[in-house]
Amino acid sequence: MSDEGPDGMTGDEPPPAEPIRVMVVDDHPVWRDGIRNDLESSGVATVVAEASDGGEAIERARGSMPEVILMDLQLPTVPGVEAIRAIVEESPHVKVVVLSASGEEPDVLEAVKVGATGYLLKGSTAGEIVDAVRRVRDGEPVFTPSLAGMVLSEFRRVAAPDPGVPGLTPRENEVLKLVAKGYTYREIAEKLFISVKTVQNHVQNILTKLQLRKRYELMRYAIQRGLDQAPE
Amino acid sequence: MATSSDERPPLPPQPGRRGLWLGILAYRWAAFVWMVILAIGASEEFRRPAVAWLILGATGLWTLWLSVTPGWDRPLTRWLDLGVCIGLLLVSGIVMREGYTVGGHPFFATAYPVCAALTWGAARGVGPGLAAGFALSVALALSRVINGVSLADATGAQIEGLGNGVVYYIAAGGAMGLIARTLGRASEELRRAQEEVLRERERVARLSEHATMGRKIHDSVLQALAWVNKRGRELGAEASVPGPEVLRLADMAAEQERALRALIQREPEEPPKERASLRDALDADARAVGEVPVTVTALGPIWLPEHEIDELTAAVRQALENVVQHAAATHAVVFAEEGEQGLIVSVRDDGVGFVYEEDVLRSRGKFGLLESMKGRIEDLGGRMIVRSAPGSGTEVEFLIPEPGLGPDRAGDGGRP
Repeated sequence: MSDEGPDGMTGDEPPPAEPIRVMVVDDHPVWRDGIRNDLESSGVATVVAEASDGGEAIERARGSMPEVILMDLQLPTVPGVEAIRAIVEESPHVKVVVLSASGEEPDVLEAVKVGATGYLLKGSTAGEIVDAVRRVRDGEPVFTPSLAGMVLSEFRRVAAPDPGVPGLTPRENEVLKLVAKGYTYREIAEKLFISVKTVQNHVQNILTKLQLRKRYELMRYAIQRGLDQAPE
Repeated sequence: MATSSDERPPLPPQPGRRGLWLGILAYRWAAFVWMVILAIGASEEFRRPAVAWLILGATGLWTLWLSVTPGWDRPLTRWLDLGVCIGLLLVSGIVMREGYTVGGHPFFATAYPVCAALTWGAARGVGPGLAAGFALSVALALSRVINGVSLADATGAQIEGLGNGVVYYIAAGGAMGLIARTLGRASEELRRAQEEVLRERERVARLSEHATMGRKIHDSVLQALAWVNKRGRELGAEASVPGPEVLRLADMAAEQERALRALIQREPEEPPKERASLRDALDADARAVGEVPVTVTALGPIWLPEHEIDELTAAVRQALENVVQHAAATHAVVFAEEGEQGLIVSVRDDGVGFVYEEDVLRSRGKFGLLESMKGRIEDLGGRMIVRSAPGSGTEVEFLIPEPGLGPDRAGDGGRP
């Protein structure tokens, strides 16, 4: 499936005054051209930079100051996940959307853990891609049902190994399950008698917890290996 | 004896232990024959010859029974054997002339009693072997007391003789225990290695099946790509491009994309015995639907008996058929989760939705497919819930409270 964002694009939002600054990272020129075309013809976004590998992406993200980065994961030189980690660390305000052809679970989950806030399959329509760019720019994570499923599995798989590691609240679990079932944020809001904004907050919190867990894992690993001690 | 037979599981039955048992049996017969020879040669030294011959006969019968019984490794047999051997030692004190249990006279029980220590060591390991040896040692000392030998006034040579007997019994039990333990470990390792080889062979078979599937898909992808390349160029050269043909090319590419994605997304996983993955089965069903894109979000592989997978996927296929035919949806999601409440499988679409009232639908003859789905799920002890309203899509949820029970479950266990 083309794995669209949960909120299908309605098309009635007015285009923003300033086009959203987007960087496209993909090692296939055809894909970069296609995405540039989709974004720019919508009038919503403009492509300020392109990169064909991970190293180039880190470098160009510094110079061109994009708001949103659309990023493939299978990249030469620096892998996509590493590039996302570096970019988000350097400029936390940049939103990264993974645009993957294969949708291989471990990669996608890893990308989200290191800071990506959205995930689309390359089969997505132009409308879905434009919509995702707009939504992540506005601070809303683009959770597809399959990503929600992966995240739920991850929280089940590693059931809070330590009191310091955040788990999901029953409400967050409920929201995530509904996203995994294919409900849109709006439908979830109606179902649970809460506002769409609250649903978005829940999803954002889930993402933050996932990233916290990742950091906690790394920290524990470092402590186990004794790397936390500063060298004399 | 200190160690009861229930304290730890017996060493696993194995050819090595049977060999030990046969060895001990051969030793028993040799000891028994020696007992008879000595008894014939030294019968004038017996206080009670009648008792002696009676006991000899009983020992012969016991040895014979041990030679023919299939229950040689039963705890009761071992306890009886220990009783017989202790009895032999004590009886020796009675049948032999007073004071004859020391001083180099032929001993009535000969070396037969040590068989009990050997048997316990072989069957239960070092500890029980030592304990049986100790019990025999106590009986040996008692036999001398019964025979009228005062342990308090024993000479150095007499104490040495008793000590030799004690060491002999205890060492025999312990050593046999050690041998049995070593044999047990070796055969356990062998068994594990064999299982490992078997598992590895199965894994290789699965991987090679996966690889064969991969080759087939790669071949069809290459063919499709070649065709799209060729036909695309031809179409590009034409003045007006026929829309339906371009769409056909796109369909062809989409079909190959789905197949390839399914192949690379996951490594084949190790299924538990007689189970299959519901997720894999749902993936296959989703791929078979060409008209509407279908995502499967299953939490984990979800291992179930194949019978249940067949029923569930049949119901899911019917639900997807409904989506394709009636929903006018742009997407559908199949969700599956095995949690505390049981198994949940849901099929949700973003289509037109409808009013779900069984009676109304039935009276209009539109309940056939839903009824069939419902029947399948209820046969699995579960229930079907339909959530739909005009304009807001449809969710069909199957809830199986106790999945994995197999085909013998009660037919309507979970009916609301």
